[in-house]
Amino acid sequence: MKTTGTENADRANFPQRPAASPFTAASQSTTPFLSSGPVVGSEAFAFRPAPPNAPQTTPSAPQTTRPYLSSGLMVGSEASGFRPTQPVRYNDPSIPRPPSSFVPPPTGTLQHHPTPQFFSTAQAPPPRTSPGQPVFPPPIRAPAGHVPSPPVYLHSQPQISSGQMGSPPQSINYVPSGRSVPPSSSDSLFSAPRSTLQPLQSAFPGYSSKSPNAVTQPPPVQSAPVFTHQGGYGPPPPATSTPFLAHQRGYVPPPPVAAPPAFYSREQMQHQGSGLPMGAVQGLTEDFSSLSLASVPGSLDPGLDSKVLPRPLDGDVEPKSFAEMYPLNCNSRYLRLTTSAIPNSQSLTSRWHLPLGAVVCPLAEAPEGEEVPIVNFATTGIIRCRRCRTYVNPYMTFTDGGRKFRCNICALLNDVPGDYFAQLDANGRRIDLNERPELTKGTVEFIAPAEYMVRPPMPPLYFFVIDVSISAVRSGMLEVVAQTIKSCLDRLPGFPRTQIGFITFDSSIHFYNMKSSLTQPQMMVVTDLDDIFVPLPDDLLVNLSESRSVVDVFLDSLPSMFQDNVNMESAFGPAIKAAFMVMNQLGGKMLIFQNTLPSLGVGRLRLRGDDLRVYGTDKEHTLRIPEDPFYKQMAADCTKYQIAVNVYALSDKYTDIASLGTLAKYTGGQIYYYPSFQSSIHKEKLRHELARDLTRETAWESVLRIRCGKGVRFTTYHGNFMLRSTDLIALPAVDCDKAYAMQMSLEETLLTTQTVYFQVALLYTSSSGERRIRVHTAAAPVVSELGEMYRQADTGAIISLFCRLAIEKTLSYKLEEARSSIQQRIVKAFREYRNLYAVQHRLGGRMIYPESLKFLPLYGLALCKSIPLRGGYADAQLDERCAAGHTMMALPVKNLLKLLYPNLVRVDEYLGKASSKPDELNISRLPVTAESLDSRGLYIYDDGLRFVIWFGKMLPPDIAMNLLGEDFATDFSRVILSERDSEMSRKLMEILKKFREIDPSYYQMNHLVRQGEQPREGFFLLTNLIEDQVGGMNGYIDWIQQIHRQVQQNA
Amino acid sequence: MGDLFAWLLFFLMLVSLLAIIVYQLMCLADLEFDYINPYDSASRINQMVLPEFITQGVLCFLYLITGHWFMSLLSVPYLYYNVTLYMKRKHLVDVTEIFNQLNWEKKQRLFKLGYLIFILFISLFWMIWSALEEEEHAF
Repeated sequence: MKTTGTENADRANFPQRPAASPFTAASQSTTPFLSSGPVVGSEAFAFRPAPPNAPQTTPSAPQTTRPYLSSGLMVGSEASGFRPTQPVRYNDPSIPRPPSSFVPPPTGTLQHHPTPQFFSTAQAPPPRTSPGQPVFPPPIRAPAGHVPSPPVYLHSQPQISSGQMGSPPQSINYVPSGRSVPPSSSDSLFSAPRSTLQPLQSAFPGYSSKSPNAVTQPPPVQSAPVFTHQGGYGPPPPATSTPFLAHQRGYVPPPPVAAPPAFYSREQMQHQGSGLPMGAVQGLTEDFSSLSLASVPGSLDPGLDSKVLPRPLDGDVEPKSFAEMYPLNCNSRYLRLTTSAIPNSQSLTSRWHLPLGAVVCPLAEAPEGEEVPIVNFATTGIIRCRRCRTYVNPYMTFTDGGRKFRCNICALLNDVPGDYFAQLDANGRRIDLNERPELTKGTVEFIAPAEYMVRPPMPPLYFFVIDVSISAVRSGMLEVVAQTIKSCLDRLPGFPRTQIGFITFDSSIHFYNMKSSLTQPQMMVVTDLDDIFVPLPDDLLVNLSESRSVVDVFLDSLPSMFQDNVNMESAFGPAIKAAFMVMNQLGGKMLIFQNTLPSLGVGRLRLRGDDLRVYGTDKEHTLRIPEDPFYKQMAADCTKYQIAVNVYALSDKYTDIASLGTLAKYTGGQIYYYPSFQSSIHKEKLRHELARDLTRETAWESVLRIRCGKGVRFTTYHGNFMLRSTDLIALPAVDCDKAYAMQMSLEETLLTTQTVYFQVALLYTSSSGERRIRVHTAAAPVVSELGEMYRQADTGAIISLFCRLAIEKTLSYKLEEARSSIQQRIVKAFREYRNLYAVQHRLGGRMIYPESLKFLPLYGLALCKSIPLRGGYADAQLDERCAAGHTMMALPVKNLLKLLYPNLVRVDEYLGKASSKPDELNISRLPVTAESLDSRGLYIYDDGLRFVIWFGKMLPPDIAMNLLGEDFATDFSRVILSERDSEMSRKLMEILKKFREIDPSYYQMNHLVRQGEQPREGFFLLTNLIEDQVGGMNGYIDWIQQIHRQVQQNA
Repeated sequence: MGDLFAWLLFFLMLVSLLAIIVYQLMCLADLEFDYINPYDSASRINQMVLPEFITQGVLCFLYLITGHWFMSLLSVPYLYYNVTLYMKRKHLVDVTEIFNQLNWEKKQRLFKLGYLIFILFISLFWMIWSALEEEEHAF
């Protein structure tokens, strides 16, 4: 800009080294700070013009600086919010020229006069009050251009200030901080901030346009703006400019602007928070993101543009920095910590209002090329620490020439067994390091010798308990199940040891003798339900490869055997007991197909859940817990004998999933729920999911334990399993689709270690009959700063824990309370975070949150609207709620996030394009709101469990014709989407297939919905558009505002 | 004389109640330290729950019919608590959730223990008192 020669000179300095030099220069001017305070005036105004001045007035400025900084930052943003008058000033001041005039005096003058400065600034501004010019970004950039070091925001800003205004004063403000902190460090810090900021910026554009008023600065000013930050502190003129950036934008407009805030925050953090000397502070980079919720004066707009709200349109993004920091850690698909920075004291933990824990998916599917290495310690036995039993891992250090190793968890020095000995090289690393995956990989699998077995490894065992009452036959379930099982027989894991057995039941129990010498199975009927006995000692459970022909015959004849059955009763409980008696020698997997409410014998249930009056009372939760203690007892017994239960519930009426689900919940099983099963509609889904259940790699008779370093302890566990001792999870069967969550607490008031290590060990029997131990090891740093914890937070893991905690809460409290507990914790966390910065920054109308948690409110909202937690009586069927609850308790993080915030994509344009191949399929996700739906389009909504295909009203008829053929005009509830003889149809099926391949754990069934076709549209789609206001639940904007309000209360 | 025997009887019942509670606490502690599996622990505890409730109920009733209404009143809260637990069907330990409820179960039993010890001391006092009175009368 016009900056005086002096300024230029300053710049020169800056260029050399952005941060340091400018600052130093500034430092001199520092005194100016005070003055800057005045400057601030313009901005400061917003903040605390006066106070800063006063303090600053003193030469000591540097120290005082902190306050300024904060104020400076704030200024931008808040200024408007705080003191409306000030904004006005801004505009005026914004003008760069005045600064120049000021400039010369600035340093000197500034210092003196906080107050005077004010005036000056004030005065100056008026003249310049150039029309508010919205163009901040450009200005900013421009300055950057001037300044060689623009990259570093901090520096750049300071520099600018100096150059233009005599910004020196401003710079001064910074200076103090800058000085204390080595330049280099500061740079790094800055750079970091930038990245975070940038996203915001993008958001801003929309914003800025909205509030042109705010941005009143003229282009020249631009440079000034930069200063502004500084100005906020020291130099009056520049200050003016600064203010605008933040304020006007509402957010932080351009990156540069953003940078300043970051700056301050850091500094503040350091100073205030840690109370560390400034120098020490360097390391604490702190960034935050913010949303402006302040309404624009004179408009009714809520002040929040829905477009700028953060949305996870790229899916789940795992924190990368952490993985880079600890390359020896296991992959995040196996273990995710809610924050990768462990608090070092209980007092710090108590300020972290989010869950502190981990989500473990021990058998997650590894992509090709990253298979888990298998290690066989045949000669040495498995190397473990002899005190804490930790398995050998990459973090163990070898000493004493390789003869000893130190356990990373309990720090005990162990001897290295002779056969495992290897020399150390000059760096203290074992010379055989590269041949030892257990010392280089975070995830390995050990082959366990006999001391890890209490009995010979069990064979994979599948036992089917099938309902053959009239509804099972009528719905076609029996036929689909028989066919699917038969088609999967060749693919069952563990050939040739696999065992198989069947029981069918209606009002009596039917056993089948499948002895290999028979040509066809022999059926035995037991009608005494009160005293169940097993009619044959063996041969009910047979080796599949030996009895294959008998099993084939049985499955072929099963549907026809019962096709005329008119029995409506269901002796569910006795049938399970019978199956249990057959299986309890070996354990294995029990698959139950249930079509009606259990009505006979032990464990019979009655209709409940249709009582509207219970909702909203203290008894509401009783609907969601098992009615009969039989189910819990049975589940406990099954776990004890290594039996996992998977329940397939296919009823068209109430089946009390709350009770049946208990069986799956405590045995590590899974609930599959197909409401109103009709084979013509649901056949594919059942077939796919049953096949997946039968053929996926399964770990049998397993136990899981997570160990962690001294001072930390895992206290509670959440998921579908039963605890065998305080920290041992018993899992009769595990597979890649199951995840478990746990929370930890600190045992000691202060942790003295630098790093905490975690080790997840799963001891299991593989289908091939080997006993194995899968070990995942991870390290996380111990920190003393709350800000660092926030920076390393992992939204996915946090939401996964929230979800489990909330669903558990619904089992003993009202839905309402479960929802509000989620909201409360989010509010508390944000309030605590705000307190870290608010004082310095005066964040008035802005909502601030850490970059790492930007999606937390949205996922929190989605969680409150998810089926297990949403609304009240009318919003979801009781069975549906319970089934979804059981499912969500077991979902891995990625699947859960997709379920909470589904993919919504528009495909009609893609379908219309002539030659595109599916490989080029590059469809961007849309926000899940009704506004994204264009009535001329065709959309696919994919939450991982189902597809909803939405046909807009004005969709060109030829597309519908091509996709649906003759059916396009009929009732969509009966239309089945299948491939037709047209290019479009093939393409659509191709897309759907691709989506399904992304995650094969569930099969997404198609639900076709036409716009305006009620109640289908409402049921399948509209209630699931989580950003919209549906049935009394908040929309996204309202939710953000509500959270923001609550954060500010008592803040 | 009858009064003294009554107090002796109360004393014995209280001691047996204490023994039951202590036994349950031991089972819980064993479970916590992994000396026993949850199945055994739960079944051992559950086995002793009803005897405890019944003994306590009888004790409370005996206090009443022997005219020691103050002691009876002291025992009523305990009885009331047991009855509500039973009515809610929550009196038994749940094997599947035992680890999550461990702290609560322990706290509850420790509280009961303190309560019983308190009553035991009062009973002892009355027993000795009535014994002394007997002697006075005897002379």
